[in-house]
Amino acid sequence: MQSAPRNPTRVDKLRHYLISQEGVLFFIMLVSVLLLATRTDKFLTVDNLLQQGRFMTEVGLIAIPMTYIIITGGIDLSVGSIMGLAAIVLGWSWQTLGFPLELAIITGVLSGTLAGFVNGLFIVRVGVPPLIMTLATLALFRGLAEGISQARSARGYPEWFYQLGQGELLGIPTQLWLLIVTVAVFGIVLARTQLGRALYAIGNNETGARFSGLTVNRYLLLIYTFSGFMAGVAGYIFVSRVSTTRSDMGAGIELDVIAAVVLGGTSIFGGTGSILGTTIGVVLIQLLKNGLTLSGLTSDATIVVIGSVLIFAILVNNFILSRRGNS
Amino acid sequence: MKKDKAAPAPRHTLDFLGIALAVVIIGAYFLLPFITQPGRGPSTVAVLTESKKANELGIFKTGLEVLPLAALGMLLLGIWNVLVPGAARAISLLLALAGLLALVYYINFFRDTPLVSPANGGEGTVMGSLGMAFWIMLGASAVAVLQALIPRAVPAPRYRLAKLFGNQESVILFGLLLLVIVVGLANPRYLQERNISDNLAGNAYIAVAALGMTMVIITGNIDISVGSLVGLLAVVSGRLAVAGAPAPLAWLVPLVVGGGFGALIGFLVAYLRIPSIVVTLGMLSIIKGILIIWVQGERVTDMPAGYFLSQMRPLGIPMPIIIMVVLTIGVALWMRYSATGRAFYALGGNAEAARLSGLSRRRLVMTVFVLNGVFVGVASVMYSTQFNIIQATPPPALELSVITASVVGGVSILGGTGTVVGSTMATLLLNFIRSAMIFINISPFWLKAVQGLLILATVLADLLRRRRQRL
Repeated sequence: MQSAPRNPTRVDKLRHYLISQEGVLFFIMLVSVLLLATRTDKFLTVDNLLQQGRFMTEVGLIAIPMTYIIITGGIDLSVGSIMGLAAIVLGWSWQTLGFPLELAIITGVLSGTLAGFVNGLFIVRVGVPPLIMTLATLALFRGLAEGISQARSARGYPEWFYQLGQGELLGIPTQLWLLIVTVAVFGIVLARTQLGRALYAIGNNETGARFSGLTVNRYLLLIYTFSGFMAGVAGYIFVSRVSTTRSDMGAGIELDVIAAVVLGGTSIFGGTGSILGTTIGVVLIQLLKNGLTLSGLTSDATIVVIGSVLIFAILVNNFILSRRGNS
Repeated sequence: MKKDKAAPAPRHTLDFLGIALAVVIIGAYFLLPFITQPGRGPSTVAVLTESKKANELGIFKTGLEVLPLAALGMLLLGIWNVLVPGAARAISLLLALAGLLALVYYINFFRDTPLVSPANGGEGTVMGSLGMAFWIMLGASAVAVLQALIPRAVPAPRYRLAKLFGNQESVILFGLLLLVIVVGLANPRYLQERNISDNLAGNAYIAVAALGMTMVIITGNIDISVGSLVGLLAVVSGRLAVAGAPAPLAWLVPLVVGGGFGALIGFLVAYLRIPSIVVTLGMLSIIKGILIIWVQGERVTDMPAGYFLSQMRPLGIPMPIIIMVVLTIGVALWMRYSATGRAFYALGGNAEAARLSGLSRRRLVMTVFVLNGVFVGVASVMYSTQFNIIQATPPPALELSVITASVVGGVSILGGTGTVVGSTMATLLLNFIRSAMIFINISPFWLKAVQGLLILATVLADLLRRRRQRL
């Protein structure tokens, strides 16, 4: 703070956006899309891109609360297990307990919400570190799903049930609408509301936030419950998309989600991040996976590229940050 | 129980008694067959050894191996007693309790039961295994009594219930004993040598990987790529062996390659300042992808006969157990007494203070990740030589098992505290729980749920304990 602050010019603003993590990431995405488009002509088509939107919805939905949680300096490893639990509860309450399907859907999503609430309660009230708490419930919730289902799958849902996962609305996959609306709403909540500011404050200095009179515990409980709710919704969408429930649904999705969030510029130590960045992270990963598969790579092998992009993007970001810090 | 005192508490020589007694017991295992008892022929151990020879397939059925296993456990405990003077009395109490329970159990069940049943074709019986276990327990309680009588240069810690749970290791040990005794009462076959040996040997590789992980977490970092790395290195080792490389080379190369990957991770974390969770999240994908592209889903088979390190049984003890115990003791001593080991704790406890004390963060982080890579290499060899087939995919969710073992073993995820003894014992506890569920007839589908609850319970116990200590 040696020189007096001057009003930012338009060029300064542009520069700011260009060298933000979102800007860098957007650039990487643009380059990779162009590169992939030259490799195969099946990639850059409306049909294919919309189809990819269908596939990334579950990760995208879970990535929103995950961004919130990581901004506060926490983490939620149990989202994949919650997703599986919600899916199993949905199928089980419909097929075994004989609930009407509408009620079964609600029960499934509610069970996810409850699972998230349990996470939050232990983290806030008992003071278990989030990483450990959600590591324990990663096993616990998956175990509940396996125990309830006894390895049986539930299938044979009525036609209307598949609308969300397989249907279209105005030519766009139904669940993509849901994702777009959710991203917009919660992006604004994070960037423009008191809740959003509180999350950044908690992530930067939790004790400071407490002393400033923020109800830190209530915020944390809220976002972990929200995370469970979103995982529950994602579980419902997943069942609707693949037409069956299995207890291993969503296994390992937590790593995809965290990779997308971190790639999107959210610091794993908390305090910074945005929903826009996360969204670009989710889209970039999905496009890379799809484009590389279409270019002839084994679909499992695309993770090499994704891992490299993750490390590379953080490297570039660190480099830019240190340059900015020096100037 | 981490203490950073300037001068370590002076220790009485007799504190080493625990080790001495364990050595005697192990010695007895080998000597007793040569001693005959008047009127009863050879000693029970000798009978069992003979019956073992008589039944070539029965190596697992005699119950004999319980003896060295338990003795090794005691050796571990004895050394630990010496390492953690403040905990010695708590452990002694636990041992005494175990001995007492075993005595009651013995009087109820074995007074008139021969260790080797002739009706059983000379094979050891379940009761025989338990008898052996009893023998060990009695020795343990003798150690306990003696230790309580040892005069100490340090003022003796007061006997309090809270002291019993003075550290996470005691909690786990207590849990393990409780589990074994309760499940053993419900289904004596649980205590059969075969089950205990399978539990120890089959999962020893997780404990070895957890050694590296514990060190990494102590420095305030984490490594979630271990599962992929074990998968990759196992295939590297197996393919080398199939290609005709001598077995020692096939065992050593994974260590070197693992160290290389560790160095890469360490470089990214230490010099380019990327958080370790991000680096290893990326490496997890990269390594798994390399594995998939490279092996194309083909399992490795037809390894030469001399390759199967984990199936060897020097002195009748499965090799994985020996590796696990030796490495755990070695690393525990190294972490406690070496300058680098102490520096790891210092770095994790307070990075800024460590820097101001002249410790190089970069070098320490490099060191810890390279070491971790080498331990992952060892674990992968133990894994790949376990069966005659090496799977082309990494063991599922192995990184979570390893991290869970470290965390349940008392390592604070924030760095600075924890011991490798704790992580090894936690690995054992988690796997004994797993097999206990089979023996008390709980549907395996509930296994993960119970495991999750138990992790939670352990962590909660730890938190409560810390909270009470703070008061």
